[in-house]
Amino acid sequence: MVDAARQPLIEVKTYTEVEKVEGFVGNFKVTLREKSKYVRADRCNGCGDCAKVCPVEIPNYFEMNLAPRKAIYIPMSQSVPLIYTVDLDACIHCYKCVEACGALQAIDFSMQDKIVEEDIGAIVVATGFSHFDPTPMEEYGYNRYPNVITAIEMERLNNSAGPTSGRLIRPSDGKVPQKLAFINCVGSRDKRFNPGCSNFCCMYSIKNAVLLKQMNPNVDISIYYIDIRTPSKGYEEFYDRARSMGIHFIQGRPAMITEDPQTHNLFIQSEDIALGRVVEHEYDMVMLNQAAIPQPDQEKMSSVLNVARSPGGWYMEYHPKLRPLDSPTDGIFFAGACQGPKDIPASVAQGSAAASRASRVLHSDSWQIEPTVAVVWSDRCVSAQGKPCGICERSCPYGAIDYQQGRAAEVITAKCHGCGGCVAECPHDAITQLHYTDAQILAQIRTLLAEEPHKKILAFRCHWCSYGGADLAGTSHFEYTSNERGLKVMCSARMDTDFIYEAYRLGAGAVLYSGCHPQDCHYITGQVVGAKRAKRLETIFERMKMTPGRFRVEWISAAEGDKYAHVLNEMQATLDAMPEEELLAEIDRLRPEMEKRLGRLGTIPGVGPALDYTQGIIEAMLSKEVAVK
Amino acid sequence: MSTTPMKIALFQCRWCLYSPEDQAWVDNDLPKNIHLVKVPCTGRIDPLFILNAVQGGADGVMVSGCLPEKCHFKEGNLAARRQLAEFSQFLDYIGYAQDRVRFVWLDLQDRGRIQQELAAFERTLETLGQAQALATRAPIAMGGAHD
Amino acid sequence: MNNTTFAEEVKALPGGESLEMCYSCGTCTSQCMVQLKQEPEYNPRRLLRLVMMEMRAEAYTNPTTWLCSACDLCYPACPQQIHISSVITAVKQIASQNGIKTPLATSVVNQQTCVACGLCVEVCPYDAISLQVIKVPYRGAVPVAVVESSLCMACGLCGAACRSNSIGIPEEYSDLDVIEDIWSWLRPEGASL
Repeated sequence: MVDAARQPLIEVKTYTEVEKVEGFVGNFKVTLREKSKYVRADRCNGCGDCAKVCPVEIPNYFEMNLAPRKAIYIPMSQSVPLIYTVDLDACIHCYKCVEACGALQAIDFSMQDKIVEEDIGAIVVATGFSHFDPTPMEEYGYNRYPNVITAIEMERLNNSAGPTSGRLIRPSDGKVPQKLAFINCVGSRDKRFNPGCSNFCCMYSIKNAVLLKQMNPNVDISIYYIDIRTPSKGYEEFYDRARSMGIHFIQGRPAMITEDPQTHNLFIQSEDIALGRVVEHEYDMVMLNQAAIPQPDQEKMSSVLNVARSPGGWYMEYHPKLRPLDSPTDGIFFAGACQGPKDIPASVAQGSAAASRASRVLHSDSWQIEPTVAVVWSDRCVSAQGKPCGICERSCPYGAIDYQQGRAAEVITAKCHGCGGCVAECPHDAITQLHYTDAQILAQIRTLLAEEPHKKILAFRCHWCSYGGADLAGTSHFEYTSNERGLKVMCSARMDTDFIYEAYRLGAGAVLYSGCHPQDCHYITGQVVGAKRAKRLETIFERMKMTPGRFRVEWISAAEGDKYAHVLNEMQATLDAMPEEELLAEIDRLRPEMEKRLGRLGTIPGVGPALDYTQGIIEAMLSKEVAVK
Repeated sequence: MSTTPMKIALFQCRWCLYSPEDQAWVDNDLPKNIHLVKVPCTGRIDPLFILNAVQGGADGVMVSGCLPEKCHFKEGNLAARRQLAEFSQFLDYIGYAQDRVRFVWLDLQDRGRIQQELAAFERTLETLGQAQALATRAPIAMGGAHD
Repeated sequence: MNNTTFAEEVKALPGGESLEMCYSCGTCTSQCMVQLKQEPEYNPRRLLRLVMMEMRAEAYTNPTTWLCSACDLCYPACPQQIHISSVITAVKQIASQNGIKTPLATSVVNQQTCVACGLCVEVCPYDAISLQVIKVPYRGAVPVAVVESSLCMACGLCGAACRSNSIGIPEEYSDLDVIEDIWSWLRPEGASL
């Protein structure tokens, strides 16, 4: 941090909040609130005379409230920049600090927050993680038993710059503990709090144990664990070293800590799985290795940055394997634990990688995006005629549509990722998606259902998940019905109601509407748009009294080839269970309904010629009996 | 104030003492004036047991059981509370002060609590003095299945 | 029934669904009062393991199957939120269907004196008691309380509730033992029944 601050090309802004991020890759407009420190950065020399005279003492959050700080303070000794800050919530306005500052005149209580707007090319988010407060876990008695502390408190107590100058002492009586226990997985791998593994706790509990053992070889340390996870280079060897130093590793998660009310010693009763029985041990002090959790304001920041969050609340990457540093929004990158708990080596690696990803943006004059972007036919957009609409804007996960009543909606091409949600949602067919136009898809539907359509199952698959699922079903040799006819679009959000009606109008036996699981959607919330529409369709078909199972909605990930095969076989079974004449009668009965809903289809630009062209091919194909195998 | 120690009948459910030291103390080191009756559950305490203790000359009756939500038998302690709250009112009516019957819910995490509770109860009883009003000569048993 | 595994059978019963979530952390065992006070061999974690590993015979006779009183101290502590007592009840149910009898000394009804007032039915936390009309010697077909021994956990609540002393656990904690015990303390000089 000190190095970064000295580097002339790096400007460090601390005590500053990101309020708004607008624009797109290479051209972000970022609004920042530079909070007022009430100390002028150009005058303060960091001497600390002000803090010496300040009469207010409040808990120091950096020291986990184990030590006091003044109302005018620096958060820690290596603060960058070394400029004091007045905590106005604690300040009693005695102005002793102003007196102590004297001729420097650095303290200025009239300062105000400053709002600045900056042009930014790329953004790297490295906001880190927060830690789980184990107070709700009553069984461990944190905040009730003085000698139960968290790992982060331990870090402060064990730090030579910390409140005790590095002497680990018991909060209850100040004595040096001789028998210590560490409990791993406190609040992590725990479905009541955080189901995920916090990744680095095993290693830091071993690290702390080794450190303490080096300082005092007589100290007795036990680590309670469910599984010890040492997956990286050199980690297992470190674990070996800890064991050879005489640190006890006890496999078993303690259910409860009890305390001797006189001595404040703690008793841990836990199953020792290696011994196969329950053991009780007495300790002077217990450390809880609590879970890593997302920052409390991560949700707020995700909407400021317009990036999605994974189920655990961490920022979601573009692709977990292939683009782990990129956010779904171009030009925004992640580094470190804000994307998921990770240890120091991984965070540093990701930080360097994110910086180089960002520099690609900064060094490019142009930026390649997916070609499948949406385009508005401004003559068809009702907003241009002054009517209120804005459906496209609401369906866009990226905020890429600029809608103002009175003029045609406009797609900001650089922000568009090409999910096609707006295209399918537009009730006036005024938007199209390049490479996935209505005309192209309708032509595909016609061709796929050219022959004996009532025996076919038309499967709409999204590019990222269910298409991958179908692919996996093939490569894994999961057999499924040969009557399936697959059709790919980028996202389930693109699966227009018109396509489904057209399929049934043509006499399709069954239609599958499939896409990603909601948390996996490649387009942040594209699946939500698609799912809502699917629900609507289900209700419509139910009202039409269509045989259940002829329209099916399934969310299938790229790893679920077996599910894809299973679903299609079930659909085939539904068709098989229906006598052919009954099915044909139902198709005929519903055809007028479908036609009614497809009234506008012919007016969509390009659809007419495309379908005529397709018709020619189909006829040629059928008459010449071209082998379709 | 009487110098003879107060006689206390302690009905303890088998499960409520978590810490082995506490259990060992209750099992082996109880003062002579306290008599331990271990029951499988406080719900097992027939009012007849209490009546026998009262009429036999006990100065106080203490029932120690699990916390309401942590009963070993789901809701035995609640059944006990219903039954004994009513019964102690009746005892009060016939001259055995309600303060002489005490219920204690023990949380698993309360180490050493049972000793404190017994000491506190003894002090209460000392202010009340000995209870002899209801003592009879012979035990009261009810005819029934296993007598 | 032929092709289903033990784990599948258990998972099909209510509460057994999350059986396979168990990662053997041992929290349940160290929390358990039965293990602490009654039977050191008692181990819910290991019973779940026996089910998952298809070891039926051992699971049927394991003390864990029979001694769990469903106090549910372990459930709020389980990090995987497995309703362990339901899993154990499911195993017990399957074991009972296979003709295994509980080793507990369960409640016994004196059918001669039972008046079928239903108090015991109401207090029983395990719904093990019901009123049924059966043929009783000397009384004919009359309604009496009937204990389902596979459900009874021997808590004794029925004995405390019964107004006619017609139900209870005869082997441990009989009324008479307790009363005699109290009197021998209060009147050591002798007061006999």
